[in-house]
Amino acid sequence: MFRTDPSIYDGRFANNGWLQELPRPLTKVTWDNVAVVSPNSAQQLVGKNDNGGAIKGREHYVPVVDIINPPGQTVQAPLWIMPGQPDGVITVHLGYGRRLAGRVGSGQIGFRAPNEIVGFDAYQIRTSFAPWYVPSVQVRRSTGDHLLATTQLHFNLEDPNFSTEPRDVVRSQTLEQFLHGERHAEDEKLPSLYPDFPYQNQAENAPNYAWGMAIDLNNCIGCNACTIACQSENNIPVVGKTEVVRSREMHWIRIDTYFKGFDPNNPHATNFMPVPCMHCENAPCEPVCPVHATVHSAEGLNDMVYNRCVGTKYCSNNCPYKVRRFNFFLYQDWSTPTYQLMRNPDVSVRSRGVMEKCTYCVQRIQNAKIQAELEDRKVHDGEIVTACQAVCPTETIVFGDTNDPNSRVSKLKRSERNYSLLDDLNTRPRTTYLSQLKNPNPEIKT
Amino acid sequence: MQDEEQKPYIEGPMHSTTPMIDPGLTFASVTDKISSIVLKRKTSLAWFFGFAISFALFQLMLLTMTNLVFVGIGLWGVNVPVAWGVAILNFVWWIGIGHAGTLISAILLLLRQRWRTSINRFAEAMTLFAVAQAGMYPIFHLGRPWLAYWLFPYPNTMGIWPQFRSPLMWDVFAVSTYATVSAMFWFVGLIPDFATLRDRARSKPFQMVYGLLAMGWRGSARHWHRYEMAYLLLAGLATPLVLSVHTIVSFDFAVGIIPGWHATIFPPYFVAGAIYAGFAMVLLLTIPLRRFYGLEGFITMRHMHNMAKVMLATGLIVGYGYMMEAFFGWYSGNKYERFMIWNRMHGPYHLYYWALILCNIVTPQFLWVKKIRSNLLLLWIISFVISIGMWLERFVIVVTSLHRDYLPSSWGMYQPTQWDWGMFIGSIGFFLTLLFLFIRFLPMISIFEMRTILPEAEVEE
Amino acid sequence: MDREHDKLEQSLPVHRRHVPPLYGVMAEFESPSDLVAAARRVYSLGYRRINGYSPYPIEELSEAIGFTHTSLPLIVFIGGLVGGLSGFFMQYWMEVIDYPLNVGGKPFNSWPAFVPITFEMTVLFAAFAAVLGMLVLNKLPQPYHPVFNAPNFVLATRDRFFLAIEANDPKFNHAEVVDLLKSLDALEVNDVEV
Repeated sequence: MFRTDPSIYDGRFANNGWLQELPRPLTKVTWDNVAVVSPNSAQQLVGKNDNGGAIKGREHYVPVVDIINPPGQTVQAPLWIMPGQPDGVITVHLGYGRRLAGRVGSGQIGFRAPNEIVGFDAYQIRTSFAPWYVPSVQVRRSTGDHLLATTQLHFNLEDPNFSTEPRDVVRSQTLEQFLHGERHAEDEKLPSLYPDFPYQNQAENAPNYAWGMAIDLNNCIGCNACTIACQSENNIPVVGKTEVVRSREMHWIRIDTYFKGFDPNNPHATNFMPVPCMHCENAPCEPVCPVHATVHSAEGLNDMVYNRCVGTKYCSNNCPYKVRRFNFFLYQDWSTPTYQLMRNPDVSVRSRGVMEKCTYCVQRIQNAKIQAELEDRKVHDGEIVTACQAVCPTETIVFGDTNDPNSRVSKLKRSERNYSLLDDLNTRPRTTYLSQLKNPNPEIKT
Repeated sequence: MQDEEQKPYIEGPMHSTTPMIDPGLTFASVTDKISSIVLKRKTSLAWFFGFAISFALFQLMLLTMTNLVFVGIGLWGVNVPVAWGVAILNFVWWIGIGHAGTLISAILLLLRQRWRTSINRFAEAMTLFAVAQAGMYPIFHLGRPWLAYWLFPYPNTMGIWPQFRSPLMWDVFAVSTYATVSAMFWFVGLIPDFATLRDRARSKPFQMVYGLLAMGWRGSARHWHRYEMAYLLLAGLATPLVLSVHTIVSFDFAVGIIPGWHATIFPPYFVAGAIYAGFAMVLLLTIPLRRFYGLEGFITMRHMHNMAKVMLATGLIVGYGYMMEAFFGWYSGNKYERFMIWNRMHGPYHLYYWALILCNIVTPQFLWVKKIRSNLLLLWIISFVISIGMWLERFVIVVTSLHRDYLPSSWGMYQPTQWDWGMFIGSIGFFLTLLFLFIRFLPMISIFEMRTILPEAEVEE
Repeated sequence: MDREHDKLEQSLPVHRRHVPPLYGVMAEFESPSDLVAAARRVYSLGYRRINGYSPYPIEELSEAIGFTHTSLPLIVFIGGLVGGLSGFFMQYWMEVIDYPLNVGGKPFNSWPAFVPITFEMTVLFAAFAAVLGMLVLNKLPQPYHPVFNAPNFVLATRDRFFLAIEANDPKFNHAEVVDLLKSLDALEVNDVEV
């Protein structure tokens, strides 16, 4: 089956670094396209039924296959094994394998071998008789393996060799269960020896905001628009394939894809979970920074102070959500003049050796607060829209003032579906999730 | 006074009557034998050879460090989730090795173990050089190492101070204190020996240098009295320092919240491990040295056996630590903890874990056997294996805990690069360079303390 | 130049020759027991400005010459106290008074977290007090001292033991002292110039 690529479409965006580095929703592959088959088909073709590359070493190598269409045209493609793919169907994405796509699209930068062709050209086996669906193609194992740059290596909620009980990360239940009163474990407010920091009465004449975010797992379709919006708003660099291979991508918000269930041939569901910085009240990243480079603001934000960071990376180690990103090299391009037009002037451009992460679009918050103060009023609910919120097609992300009981985010947080990710760590995140409610048709077999 | 003809000391097998020191030694022969190694005019060819190799590796270290600072931490294998890799575990490995020296100098002194006397000078020097290696890593692993001084509390234009709740800040104070106190302890111990060398030096420049360092020491009884008091007090201070410094280093991990790090057993486990690794390094170095410099009369089989026994004891404590980790990983019932232990044993890095068990728990069991303890080649090999094992232990703790923690979507892999290895091997070269300089220019056995354990030092009433 | 000076000296009558002032009399012994016995004898006879010199510390010797008290432990204690208090209050002032920040929800006065640094500062300052205290009380560095003029004194750092009775001792009488030391199994008895 031919499909347009989720990021670069039919190839027109191949020279766009942001889109090349955007992980594809289901495979999380970047800078490449793959041929997707089911575990059963893969077992027949190459003798294994999971991607396994992540287990074998740092680098994610996958086998290469030859795909031959009825007229006999051939193309070589890296094979990706995906739970949920129908048996006997191979899906390829168009748009890759371009030879003259420009500096980025032709693999001139960020690749190991200069002028390495990015991806494989699926158009080679596409005919006008069957532009979207070919009833039979021949697929056989070719020689060699291909190195893929993926941002996520594990798609199950646990290692199936260890246990079949999933981790309590994505909460979802059916409508029927919900109506019968079944609820997930409530967010415990775990006891603490320390008093809470107050967010009312912050200072004399202070407007007393306390920012928070709610993400509705019912709505997220995994389109990754939030990732790109964040990248454009916050001057996030593109790091290139070799760095993504080393797990150094810089996206501040990512979509985690999980396949529910542990039978690779029969996953129950696919869940998408956007993960930005949680801005925890008891942030584990803050007390371990030796230089006060990450501290908690009076309005509830976990502030990242770039100019104070010396780069110990302890905060990244201590973040259980792994939302922090480090500038291992000077990823930003200081020299190309056109980039000055691309960048958002409200956000600093980070240099080598500093940590960065989601800031709840603090520049937008500050702009709105300044405007409100000029107009002698409080910020209205909905006036501050974070970049990810603004672009999300399904209104998954809602941001606002949790000190205001009537704000949209406060109402969502009062919902019975509201929960904190990894709540038993007592990090008390300000970004909470609304658990998923599914209403499956009993007549359709899952 | 002519150097007396010294009968070579013949070693017998270890026996309950094996002496702590060659019975034929006198005040004069002790002085002459040790100071002659330092004061002789001609440097041996073997020394130059060893020094040359060490120095070349030292240059490798400088090369990797320079490249790192100019290009970036990305040259190493670190990433997200494994943001600390081989560099940090090397830091812990080196500091751990340093602790044996302080234990020998300070704790064995307080416990009145007189056999410490012939090895304490060398062991303290080893401590200082190991801490020097360790101290470089916290600076060079920074993303912006040129700003490392921000970790010191000084008034600055930003009006801000360091964040004292962070274990890295505790490290700054602990490691600096440890380095300073060890250096002072070592130097104070050297003062009377500098006086010995000053009085025995054969060339004017050396006499001037040693004389300067001796600060006019003349062996006055009043001075000795205060000196011994100061030495004892320093030993008393260095003892809690050994315990606290490695405890604080263990807090770098124990204060973290990820499974595999957040464990209360870390302080005693790390301290025991440090002593374990340190004695292994002392044995690794003294076994060839005593042979090469003919010091069997000073560092006897009794010393070898005692050190092997300390290694065995601390190895058992470390083994207990591993077993407790595994047990509590399971017993806690906490899903993340259970997975952490399972992952160490069956996950992608399981070979490192099982190699660790082999090196650190199985290998020291051979030391129960007296015959094996007496065989110096076997003892050397066992010490080497234990040194590797302790490196693997820190690898397992740092890397396997980080690479898979709470959210499966964040699980990743880590592989050190050639720049990681280059700096590590280079630091071994730097360590050996300093050691070679030490054995050439300074007395590697404490001369005045050796005099106190001679039979003729007893005052008859 | 010195030869001419000596010749000139010799040409003068004895009572007009320049006699260098005397620091004291030094006796050389072969074993520590001899030295300790001699020191006890000398002390019991009332001499107080005496000192022993040995290549290693001899506990009985310092008792024998009447030197048992040193204020070093007190100095070290005060050093430790100063270190500990300054360590804690430095952290307290910086995190609570001068620039308090919300760090992970922890209270400003996170005194449990301040303990490691307080402890290390205590040890550091106490160690400095021990070393500097010992050097200052011993008046070291002191490159020159009259006893270095004693013949064979280089052996004091090898295998010989010395006992000195200083000329400014109230009971000092040159002839008596020399006789006394000679009677105590000394290998040699010599005058020591300042």
